[in-house]
Amino acid sequence: MAAMSSSSAVSSQYSDFIGLHRNSIPSTCAAGNAGSSRFLPLRFRRFQIRAGKASPLLAGRPLRVAVIGGGPAGGATAETLAKGGVETVLIERKLDNCKPCGGAIPLCMVGEFDLPLDIIDRRVTKMKMISPSNVAVDIGRTLKPNEYIGMVRREVLDAYLRGRAAEAGAAVINGLFLRMDQPPAGSGERYKIYYIEYSGHGSGTGEKKEMEVDAIVGADGANSRVAKEMGAGEYEYAIAFQERVKIPEDKMEYYKERAEMYVGDDVSPDFYGWVFPKCDHVAVGTGTVTHKSDIKRFQAATRLRARDKIAGGKIIRVEAHPIPEHPRPRRVLDRVALVGDAAGYVTKCSGEGIYFAAKSGRMCAEAIVEGSANGRRMIDEGDLRRYLDRFDRTYWPTYKVLDVLQKLFYRSNPAREAFVEMCADEYVQKMTFDSYLYKRVVPGNPLEDLKLAVNTIGSLVRANALRREMANIS
Amino acid sequence: MASSMPPSLPSIFSTFSAKTHQRHPHGILLSVCHRNLPSLFVCRSVDDGSEAAAVEEKKVESAANTAAAKVENKAEVKEEEDEPLGSSNGAAAAKLEPSAFKDPRWVRGTWDLSQFVRDGNTDWDAVIDAEAGRRKWLEGNPQASSNDEPVLFDTSIIPWWAWVKRYHLPEAELLNGRAAMVGFFTAYFVDSLTGIGLVNQMGNFFCKTLLFVAVAGVLLIRKNEDIEKLKKLIEETTFYDKQWRATWQDDNKGDSRNG
Repeated sequence: MAAMSSSSAVSSQYSDFIGLHRNSIPSTCAAGNAGSSRFLPLRFRRFQIRAGKASPLLAGRPLRVAVIGGGPAGGATAETLAKGGVETVLIERKLDNCKPCGGAIPLCMVGEFDLPLDIIDRRVTKMKMISPSNVAVDIGRTLKPNEYIGMVRREVLDAYLRGRAAEAGAAVINGLFLRMDQPPAGSGERYKIYYIEYSGHGSGTGEKKEMEVDAIVGADGANSRVAKEMGAGEYEYAIAFQERVKIPEDKMEYYKERAEMYVGDDVSPDFYGWVFPKCDHVAVGTGTVTHKSDIKRFQAATRLRARDKIAGGKIIRVEAHPIPEHPRPRRVLDRVALVGDAAGYVTKCSGEGIYFAAKSGRMCAEAIVEGSANGRRMIDEGDLRRYLDRFDRTYWPTYKVLDVLQKLFYRSNPAREAFVEMCADEYVQKMTFDSYLYKRVVPGNPLEDLKLAVNTIGSLVRANALRREMANIS
Repeated sequence: MASSMPPSLPSIFSTFSAKTHQRHPHGILLSVCHRNLPSLFVCRSVDDGSEAAAVEEKKVESAANTAAAKVENKAEVKEEEDEPLGSSNGAAAAKLEPSAFKDPRWVRGTWDLSQFVRDGNTDWDAVIDAEAGRRKWLEGNPQASSNDEPVLFDTSIIPWWAWVKRYHLPEAELLNGRAAMVGFFTAYFVDSLTGIGLVNQMGNFFCKTLLFVAVAGVLLIRKNEDIEKLKKLIEETTFYDKQWRATWQDDNKGDSRNG
């Protein structure tokens, strides 16, 4: 990526902050627009002004950033900011929150975020994919002994990451973000956030407080209030519905290292049903985007399909949560940025979000630290856009491939049958796990890829042909 | 429930039109209602784990946003809470006796090919019919997946020529017939207009292009609906990209798309 630093041009722009946001390029005209006015739209690679380096020195105080939300995204952001010398405030409304979540983290997250191994309750090394006609395929044969999918409890993971942020110097506040006052775009003035600070001990009552900050990172999840405040726009979302079921020991043994995925129109028209092992119980759930009002029916169908394996279990908890389907239209506005679920970084097909939340938080923090020269200078929208650019370029292939897989294999029962048939192939298993565990889209062997393509088409054609027969029967 | 699909290769595209129809209204309706969750308390308790399970369910209901279903679902969920799973509960109880798929030829999770022998050879057509029947039955009566009696059948045991003979050849005959008719009349038409004979047409670039367009058209557009389907498919392939790039466009186009 070419980077162009034209400090003289920038400094003259900075002398007139209003001018910064008046673009001469008509197609990028909008109120409150980017500081790097020289980028071309619709392209990921563009010229970037390293505006932050030339921006005004903060007089006698470090940059102060408020991170709203203390999940994986917020925790990772706060830790990296604090380590970088930025004054960080992390506001989390519920410090013992058990976020309803599948809880699966890829192997690379353990390494990249130095997670201690005792955070991981279970290591899943086998997955069973079950087709609409109950054809069951075991995947995981190609995993090496040290490879696994980690299952964590969200309350444990979140608390750990927040603890690390606090150790690095971030101030963790138990409070609820209410709203923010945004200064005029490009003025360089501070933001004001309003929040309720809880006195602790679960009293539920708190006092209204306000704080002035230089930048805000919205890490407050799918129902992000920061996103609403900054006008980030809406996204389509899936409802994920999950029941925690305590099953007898002998049945639990089967799920010791195994997770199951059920696909079918009965279980979900556009997603999958799952049975994931947790610390001492399993989570049985399903999700959907298009038929949210039928979620109970889908859940009943999921329970039915897993009936024999969870027989005798007791439901100990019922939970649901929205999952974003795609990023919000606007993820950065002036000096407010969104990360994690608030930005909408959940993959299609697998619905994975924890790793991308933490990684996007870290990338955003790194961009802020870089743009502010370790907290010494004021940042601007260009610095935050650099985080967006980096994240998009690094993970776009992953997201796109998963989107293609979802469009191809989740659209109908024949497609799902073909999907499960394909999963029996060793090459597919290897590619799937490699890309999931390490977040790399590796091209692989061209000959094998060709064979795979032929086999996929064959499976799809056969399944659709059978579908035609089924239509003729009725 | 699955709906029957028109018997053509682009049939895999057919379900997404239903999907995209529902996508936007649902998105709008639910995003509006979602934001109408009135009080702070309600917002917090949607995913608040420490609340009592009963309250949890109520909030879960509003998250799923079903008006009519609320009452009956609440009762259903409470019932499930009290009983252990495995005993029949909720909607699953009604039609589900543990009646697995029963067929004399379905042995130990796969079709016993020795029972499909006809005139000394395996009757693959009958195998295809049997599997279609099984899947049809399962669609109406979803079964629990069982570890003791796993389903092992893989459609690839049916040889490729059986599939080709049954599904590809009739369609190919149809398409070839269409292509021949279109080709003949186009060649006649071009000849009458320009006087170029058939052999000389094949040497002309424009005519070759016409030929290519005719072949592609016959292959891709087999029913009237296919034109719309193709357009939607093209839009669908780039939709996700557009959603990701919305933040770079920085104008109101991105907002209106995701209503």
